[in-house]
Amino acid sequence: MSTRDGIAAATSTEALTTELPAGRSLGWWGMVMFVATEATLFACLIGSYFYLRFQHGGPWPPDGIAKPALLRPLMMTAVLLPSSIPVVWAERGIRRGQRWRLRTGLAATLVLGVTFLVLVATEYAETLREFTMTTNAYGSLFYVITGFHGFHVFVGLTMISWLLVASLRGGSFGAHRHDRVRNVAIYWHFVDVVWAAIVFSLYLTPRLS
Amino acid sequence: MSTTAAPTPGASREDLARLEEGWGERPSLRSWFSTVDHKRIGRRYLVTASLFFVLAGLSALAMRTQLARPESRLLSPQEYNQLFTMHGTAMIFLFATPMLFGFGNFLVPLMIGARDMAFPKLNAFGYWVFLFAGLFMWASLPFGAAPNAGWFAYVPLTDEGNTPGLHMDVYSLGLLFLGIATTAGSINFIVTALKLRAPGMSLNRVPLFVWAIVATAFMVIFALPALNADNALLFLDRRFGTHFFDPAHGGNALLWQHLFWIFGHPDVYIIVMPALGIVSAVLPAFTRRGVVGYALVVFAMASIAIISFGVWVHHMFATGLPQLSYGFFSAASTIITIPSGIQIFAWLATMLLGRLVLKVPLLFVIGFIVTFVLGGFTGTMFALTAFDQQVTDSYFVVAHFHYVLIGGAVFPILAAIYYWLPKITGRMYHEGLGRWAFWLFFTGMHVTFFPMHLYGLFGMPRRVYTYPNEPGWAGWNLVATAGSYVLAIGLLLVLIGVVHAVRRGRPAPPDPWGGDTLEWSTDSPPKPYNFPVLPQVHSLHPTWDETSRTSMTEGATDDRIMADGRRTLATSELDGRRERTVDMPESSLQPLLLALAMLVFFTSMLFGWYPVAIVAGLVVAATIAVWLWPTRRPEQELGVR
Amino acid sequence: MSTHPGPRARLAGGLLLWYAVLGGAIAWAVHLIAGWSVDELTCANGSDRVGVLPLRAAIGLAVVLPALATLGALLAAALLWRRTARTPRGDEPERRVGRSRMLAVVGIWLNILFLTIIVLGGVALLVLPPCQV
Repeated sequence: MSTRDGIAAATSTEALTTELPAGRSLGWWGMVMFVATEATLFACLIGSYFYLRFQHGGPWPPDGIAKPALLRPLMMTAVLLPSSIPVVWAERGIRRGQRWRLRTGLAATLVLGVTFLVLVATEYAETLREFTMTTNAYGSLFYVITGFHGFHVFVGLTMISWLLVASLRGGSFGAHRHDRVRNVAIYWHFVDVVWAAIVFSLYLTPRLS
Repeated sequence: MSTTAAPTPGASREDLARLEEGWGERPSLRSWFSTVDHKRIGRRYLVTASLFFVLAGLSALAMRTQLARPESRLLSPQEYNQLFTMHGTAMIFLFATPMLFGFGNFLVPLMIGARDMAFPKLNAFGYWVFLFAGLFMWASLPFGAAPNAGWFAYVPLTDEGNTPGLHMDVYSLGLLFLGIATTAGSINFIVTALKLRAPGMSLNRVPLFVWAIVATAFMVIFALPALNADNALLFLDRRFGTHFFDPAHGGNALLWQHLFWIFGHPDVYIIVMPALGIVSAVLPAFTRRGVVGYALVVFAMASIAIISFGVWVHHMFATGLPQLSYGFFSAASTIITIPSGIQIFAWLATMLLGRLVLKVPLLFVIGFIVTFVLGGFTGTMFALTAFDQQVTDSYFVVAHFHYVLIGGAVFPILAAIYYWLPKITGRMYHEGLGRWAFWLFFTGMHVTFFPMHLYGLFGMPRRVYTYPNEPGWAGWNLVATAGSYVLAIGLLLVLIGVVHAVRRGRPAPPDPWGGDTLEWSTDSPPKPYNFPVLPQVHSLHPTWDETSRTSMTEGATDDRIMADGRRTLATSELDGRRERTVDMPESSLQPLLLALAMLVFFTSMLFGWYPVAIVAGLVVAATIAVWLWPTRRPEQELGVR
Repeated sequence: MSTHPGPRARLAGGLLLWYAVLGGAIAWAVHLIAGWSVDELTCANGSDRVGVLPLRAAIGLAVVLPALATLGALLAAALLWRRTARTPRGDEPERRVGRSRMLAVVGIWLNILFLTIIVLGGVALLVLPPCQV
């Protein structure tokens, strides 16, 4: 089919009036709306970070605090971002009724997520010697934003453990019943994407200026 | 057009018995706490929000009594500060939005032809959180620990150093707690309106009230996080020594204002928009025609919901931005008046082209238009920067926003009370009493707030607990106080009217007004399952159209009766195509338990009992885990390989 | 014109509908955030260049590109309006086309409104020096 035909087909009455979106479940919409409001919360926090930073002027971080080290956050990124893959794999598995894939995938994500939290703890152990939440506004921003994200990872891991327990019990999920798996997956992907935004804002941009 | 007798049910006697068995709740103490019926929850929202309205109104009367004479010492400055802060905070957060959510809760499932909200247990949870958050905030008043720095709580006044004590901790924690209820309610409205519309109700057949509630819910989803972030940061600053708002340590006091108004400006529309939806719902019944320009009114609501996020900087024109970026925001601030105007003209055209039936609800709608337009008129005066700087923080501002909020929210709410009272209680109100209430309220409102324009121009600042006898102040203040008592008597008559209707009112027919939306196609009050037969919708005004009506009687089909268990229909998002039946949850005590655990959490945060807060947090997590735990099903049903 | 477009054409058509309805709103949001933040941040740094571009040109891009995107959405909405002029027979197609036509009307007005706001912002850019306080 030529491009011209393609355009004609896509702009026909039939195509233009295609119902999109359609067929989503109640739970899916609920989770998407919840994630939308949570994402706005993170946008407000990251916006506050930039607002305070640019209103402050002068060197950033202020008060002689060193620029954030990159190695560890990059490792954390390398652990957290790929942790979405096993979730996707597990979800596709249970859609076909393969329970072993659900269990294995969730367990793999659990391991990666816990590793991430351990890395956060080691990072805090180092930075806390240099500055705390009460040192100045930079410290407040750094700990509150990363801490709030860490709390979200923790909540996500709780959800994943909960799914894992439910799937190990049996009689919970299958090809026809996997709403909860998909909703937790949406939440977990969201936690991942937020981390990418945090790495960019809190760790990379201070090195750009 | 109007049906006076109950519609002949298309469902058989056995079907009705089975529906009653699945949905009915035997009155008991347990069912009182565990109900998930959207109608009972909606009624509770209405009653609880009215209770908070009375408390906030009594606070206002106390203030007006104090201000009747100059140099009055009835209230101490500390008491006065707490009263005006609680008055504003409660009217905005604990009355206006919950009251409108109460109407939404009761009406949205009925208007779209569903048997309940999308998430009934979440709905019950939202109510309990609202109740507890309201009590949490009001409980501080008798202890003299109520919020005391104005409803918008600007830093640095609200820093720990400048306002020590629990006052502003109550404010920030209370609003964070309440935010959970508002967010949960909004998600529920959106999903309900997207997925549970009766078959045939495509987007172009959705009642305007439902559009208004959905637009409001979307605004809440994207605006409330800014307020939550703001309050969380304020609490951290006050309690844990962070420096977000502290310029001495690299923070910035203006951050509070930015985040507050990113929320605050949409919040004006969050309050007003559902009220405008009420107007669009009331008018068809009393003008005997649909609202003129349906698609344009939908457009107006959508555009207001979006543009309201791009105008917050106009609350902060004195903060030193480059003129150009100010220009981007004032372009949006100017244009947002167009869709508001479109709605007003759509209603005027409806009244002009229709046949007016002057009942009490329509009186309140007319009162709304008069008052709201006057408030909008003084609103445009603020756009002149020179004028704005003259009257800022004077009583002129107080006059302006009371015209906007009483005009834009309270008049429509009162119209809604009279309009839907027959549907909610199954009883008619007394028309004469309602007219007295309207005229007293209308007169009282204008006598109270019009003089405030004047003595605001004469220079009287707002938020002062008393004042010296400057020229022109004392006399007009006395007039305003007298007006406030008339206003209160008007509202008392509304209350008496409601009580009288419930006690003595004559039974209401299913459709006393000849309304156009689906709630008038079922009993007054509706059965627990709302509709014996879910309708098949064929037009925008299903109760006025024969085919939609008969789909519930002679045209009933089993797939729209679904008499077994608790089930309703899920339809597609845009066109309302039938998709599947969904099982609705049974009543449960979990929502109450979850809300109680959260109350314990926020109370212990307030008093600094952090170990208790952690335990409460664990109870919250455990309750949610049990709530959502999947029921065990046989492997074939699940589809396991 | 085929009466039964394939799944890809349907997806493209469905997305085009949402572009026609919400394209202007999204373009305006991008315009507002980009124009405001670039202006305020550059001026706060005491600079009048953004990378290689002069500040005025950079803000100009933040006006012109969203304006073009909104214009495109307006045209798409107009196309949708024309394509839904005739109501087909049958309840299901009638709902589908009726719903799309209402969205077309909403989209046309939304896009006109947002185009006006963006153009007004462009006027401000022509009149005001970018960093004047």
